[in-house]
Amino acid sequence: MVVVEADERVHVRGLHVRFGRVEAVAGVDLSTYAGQATALLGRNGAGKSTTMRVLAGVVPPSAGEVVVAGHDVRTATLAVKRAVGYCPDIGGLVPRATPWEHLQLSARLRRLGPSWESRGRDLLERFELGDVAHRITAGFSHGMGRRLSVVLAVLHEPEVLLLDEPFDGVDPIGVEATMDAIADARARGAAVLVSTHLRELAVQACGSVSVLRGGARVASMTAEEMRGEEGARAYRGLLD
Amino acid sequence: MPTAASWTERPTSRSGRREGVGTAVVDLVTLLRFRARTARRGRARGAIAAFVVLTLAVATVPAWTPHAGSGDRAFNLLLLLPTGMAGVVLLAVTSAVASGGGRELMPRDPGQIFPIGSTTDHLGALVLTPLNIAWLLQAWVLLGSAAYAVGHRSLGTLAGLQLGLGLWLVVATAIGQFAAWTIEGIRRTAHGVPIVRMLTVLVIATAIAMQTADLLVDALDAAPTSPVLIGLLDAPGPRWWTTVLLLALAAVAIVALGAVPARWAGRRLPVDEVELETGHRRPRGLARSPWAALVRTDRASVWRAVPMRRGLLVLAVGPGLVAVLGDLRWDSLTLLPGLVVSGGALLFGVNAWCLDGRGGRWRESLPVEPGLVFDARAWVLAEFLLSASALTVLIAGLRAGVPTPAEFTAMLASVLVIALQVVAASMRWSILHPYAADLRSARATPAPPLAMVGYSARLAASTTVTGLVFSGLARADDWRVPALLAVPFLCWSAARLLRARRRWSDAERRADVVLTVTA
Repeated sequence: MVVVEADERVHVRGLHVRFGRVEAVAGVDLSTYAGQATALLGRNGAGKSTTMRVLAGVVPPSAGEVVVAGHDVRTATLAVKRAVGYCPDIGGLVPRATPWEHLQLSARLRRLGPSWESRGRDLLERFELGDVAHRITAGFSHGMGRRLSVVLAVLHEPEVLLLDEPFDGVDPIGVEATMDAIADARARGAAVLVSTHLRELAVQACGSVSVLRGGARVASMTAEEMRGEEGARAYRGLLD
Repeated sequence: MPTAASWTERPTSRSGRREGVGTAVVDLVTLLRFRARTARRGRARGAIAAFVVLTLAVATVPAWTPHAGSGDRAFNLLLLLPTGMAGVVLLAVTSAVASGGGRELMPRDPGQIFPIGSTTDHLGALVLTPLNIAWLLQAWVLLGSAAYAVGHRSLGTLAGLQLGLGLWLVVATAIGQFAAWTIEGIRRTAHGVPIVRMLTVLVIATAIAMQTADLLVDALDAAPTSPVLIGLLDAPGPRWWTTVLLLALAAVAIVALGAVPARWAGRRLPVDEVELETGHRRPRGLARSPWAALVRTDRASVWRAVPMRRGLLVLAVGPGLVAVLGDLRWDSLTLLPGLVVSGGALLFGVNAWCLDGRGGRWRESLPVEPGLVFDARAWVLAEFLLSASALTVLIAGLRAGVPTPAEFTAMLASVLVIALQVVAASMRWSILHPYAADLRSARATPAPPLAMVGYSARLAASTTVTGLVFSGLARADDWRVPALLAVPFLCWSAARLLRARRRWSDAERRADVVLTVTA
């Protein structure tokens, strides 16, 4: 029986993920609480995206305890998917569907009430996607795709928001809208995990930071400790 | 404030050279080596060995069969060979035009970082053309018919004829490629799409008018293939040498000529793809259920893709027209659904999960039972295949008269059995062998070339056998016979489909598929 604290929305202990002979995640421990945002930092291949995929219910864990919003990801995958909003690291969009059709699919499968339409329109406007709401996404730029992925992740006001590289290739207005979305999620009590290579943006968006290396967590600290030149040096030291 | 030059200098270094034939050939070899390294070595060698052995067998064995080179049937086959040679050209043109210039040696996305010129692209498409079961079958039919027609009394004649026909296949493929680039170039001009559509309608109408006036066979007989065949039958005499030399020169000339429209087309944007990607869609209301939402999304992925729409039209209309022109009867028409359904599955079905592109990761994070997602995808694939078959049967039936109850039941059973058979096989392969594929371009395929040959061969074999069974049953006295015999076929395929569904429900297997197709 896994013991999870009352406001602990993400509980990960000894997570291992293996793809054949490759161990992508080798013993990650992680906790994120309601109203808290945690940044996942680390080099390429550190296991950040794989950890996010496990939390989103996309990849099953090979070993370890993973509880998201009170549901075991292994046995209650559908409940986890209902509680989570996930922005994948790459792509994340069906190429021949429009943004509005993406929102409709999510709304129907998540059984959202009629208010989702006004929220969807508002989000598209905030992320400056209102004028392309009915254009198919195959012709979108990388930044537009990232922005829409964030919109899709936050549409249903999830208990746990997982954003994997949400700032990658996004213009300043998109970054600002994403920051606002993270702040909104925290304000209504959601737990937020942001995986990124952009340290300064990570510390701006989150209150705490976990650094992964070689598939395992090597450090956890407050965002303040990661800020500025000193934070950059500390982070650099954790990567080798 | 000093400013730098705002233009680039005319390149003079080696990296800025113009693409000549030599450069294109060198680049082609490099790309072929690169692609060969990404294929499984053992499997690729096996496939090449099988191709060589089968081709040699087809080109020789029929010459040693009874009555080869002597009977009436052999003589009739010899008379039909020039028409067959013309037919090969027609099929090569149709196939290359439908695929928007032939297959890509390097898919568009990974290929864009390499300096691949249009001549290299053109040569690559030519080299990949034989990796297609339709091309292979027509080549084997031509070589096999020729072997049977001349027999083995003069080995020199047989060898000379087959060598010459091999060259003819190269010429036909090069003509097809030249035509494809030209049509693609026209299609990419300002009013190109309606012009090409009008041209297509005009060609079809002409063929039907000629058939109605009993002129089509005469026109095919008048094709300049008879002198070529007569020259090849003179092997190893002087006329044979002249014909072979002319064929070789023609092959080189047409291949080189094909680079011109390839460059012309390559400089222009694919209009229909761009229109599709930038056009706005009228929003619809919210789907009534999760099932309807999934089906709607999958349908959009299929029907908004250029290769699927164009491929389906060619697959459905082409065989239907051939049946009309060839005046096929209902018992022969049962063979058509196999051809159409197999071709339809090769457009995306054999790698069905690649439809979502990189959106697969987001879709997998949505709260829905995996079984329902599987059902929706299989349903949309079945719809796609059945609509193509229905259109073919409708066109083909225009001249076949009113079917007897047994013929009608056999046709219906044949369509349903083959569709379920192909859907089950496709969904199984989609889980066992997923590939990352971008289906935006008309030239894209859902799997690598060698895998496509394997899939098409297996589909062609199984659906032809099924079609033949129902062709026989169409002659039954009682209409209930084909209906009853369809039941075990349907049960078998349904069981295989359910097995694939169980595999998809396994979280680890599904994660493998999703991560592979979205890579």
